[in-house]
Amino acid sequence: MDTEVYNTLRVQKRKPRKSKLERTTGIIFIIPLFIFLTAFTFFPAVYSFVISLFHYDPFFHSIYPVGFSNYISVMKSAAFLKSVENVLIYTAVVVSVQTFLAFGFAMLFNRASKISRLARAIVFIPAVVSPVSMSIIFLWVFSNAGLVNFVLSFFGVPPRNWLYSTTFAFPAIMAMNIFSTAPYFMIVYSAGLQSIPTEVLDAAMIDGIRSGLARFRHIYFPMLRFSTILVVILGVTGAMQLFDQIYVITDGGPARSTYVPLMFIYNRTFVYTGEIGVAAAASFILFVIIMLLTIAQRRVITERRW
Amino acid sequence: MFNGEQRVTRKPVKRVHKQARDILIYGVSIILAIIYLVPFYWTVLKAFRNSIFANFPPDMNPLSKTSLAYFLTNLKTVWGFGDFPLWYLNSVVVSVAVVAGSVFVGSLAGYAFARLKFPGRDLLFYAVLATLMIPFPVISIASYVFMLDIHWLSTYQGLIFPQIASALDVFIMRQYFMTIPEEVEFAAKIDGLKPWQIFFKVSAPMAAPAIAAATIFSFISSWNNFLWPLMEVHSLNLFTLPLVLNFFKGANGTQIYWNQMMTVNILTIIPTVVIFALFEKYFIRGISIDVSAR
Repeated sequence: MDTEVYNTLRVQKRKPRKSKLERTTGIIFIIPLFIFLTAFTFFPAVYSFVISLFHYDPFFHSIYPVGFSNYISVMKSAAFLKSVENVLIYTAVVVSVQTFLAFGFAMLFNRASKISRLARAIVFIPAVVSPVSMSIIFLWVFSNAGLVNFVLSFFGVPPRNWLYSTTFAFPAIMAMNIFSTAPYFMIVYSAGLQSIPTEVLDAAMIDGIRSGLARFRHIYFPMLRFSTILVVILGVTGAMQLFDQIYVITDGGPARSTYVPLMFIYNRTFVYTGEIGVAAAASFILFVIIMLLTIAQRRVITERRW
Repeated sequence: MFNGEQRVTRKPVKRVHKQARDILIYGVSIILAIIYLVPFYWTVLKAFRNSIFANFPPDMNPLSKTSLAYFLTNLKTVWGFGDFPLWYLNSVVVSVAVVAGSVFVGSLAGYAFARLKFPGRDLLFYAVLATLMIPFPVISIASYVFMLDIHWLSTYQGLIFPQIASALDVFIMRQYFMTIPEEVEFAAKIDGLKPWQIFFKVSAPMAAPAIAAATIFSFISSWNNFLWPLMEVHSLNLFTLPLVLNFFKGANGTQIYWNQMMTVNILTIIPTVVIFALFEKYFIRGISIDVSAR
């Protein structure tokens, strides 16, 4: 009895000391992360908005507040409006095709055999290769003596440089990016497919859901809803940030047919002088567009029941 | 089960049907894999040529003796182009530093969020979560101006530091630490180990697979990063490989020397593909966590 009381007392006495130590350790452990996050994420996010309210030209030391006039000039800029239009079209096409393909690839490779695993690993390679390297490869694929013309020559189609055409340059870049991002999102669906218990499939079998179409309708579609939400939202966010490929391959041309918002932002900062404030305003607008799209998608997808 | 006759009559038909389906699925899988290999195969072919004017159709075997000799010549030319060895080293140094920094910072924080109790923990964790909503490109201009302000443009620290704060590594680590049974740590606690000793001596070694996933993930994203070096670096001495590729593209005006260009490209691609091939499992786990974090 006495020892028991002693023990509880001891535990009670020791506990606060221990948790204080734990508290201090916890705080010390997150300090490095928050130093980096504050300096290189939170601060730039706020700073970005501040800069957008200034005429900002650090090279000529001409910095003065201009209110919201940068936003007005961005919204009035034909180049920016064109870039937003382009990126929205790009996003709509790329996200729908890549989501569809990602699902198809995941279904195709959803087997325990060696062939499937190897093929899946090969298909995944473009997802680990840098966008710049992929761009260099596809610069050749779509060039005059490139792969596309080589294949089309068998069908009697005359060669052309796809990337110099205002009609075909953007679709070519879309195709290239779908080629590399579909396998990336395939992983999301693969994980989703593996989380479907085999009992569900067996039970469905017994209930008479046998045809492929019925299985899609009653099993895969509802059970992979969460995967689809992720693939679509991440796809949209990623597509809106298109830059590397455009910069390397077309630089926004020909005739702004591949011009995207980040190209606009980059050019205002590094090509024009004294337009950093405008670039910051455009960044903020882009950020708002991405946020609104994300929120809208969450709404639409969570409200609707398939 | 309850209808024996039907089973007997249906079984052979079903087996044939299943076999045909298997052949179809594997056939499509293999064709798809080949389609995905073609661009890379042609990249290799180009790098194994001697001139810009490829004979068409070319020698399709990149491993023939003449091809190999061409490749070695291209490799020598490329290696002697500008400060290529330095650029390659830059890529390695920057990526390794980013990996070391972000994995260390990320595992400390991941452990704290998973296991240690301290005031404001959940709120701070949501703050980390919120950074995933801020894509780097939209704050890149401000980051660039910030670097300009503190005179970090065209410096290694300017290249490395902004890439270190990675919410993703925090998630990968936190997720894993939460799966380690608490009893293990409890035992260490009873042995009188302090919380940080438990982390370094017990928990961190147990989290090796998560550390591997975080390492590979941050290595590949840093190695492939283009936008930040493009903004940050205004001096040839600090070029990293994606910048080199872009520079090489325009180095001879409109004339592209495909054989040399693709040689550079192969040198850029190889490390990531090799790492992916070796640690595929961890990389894929990293992606699923990245995705589930959002």
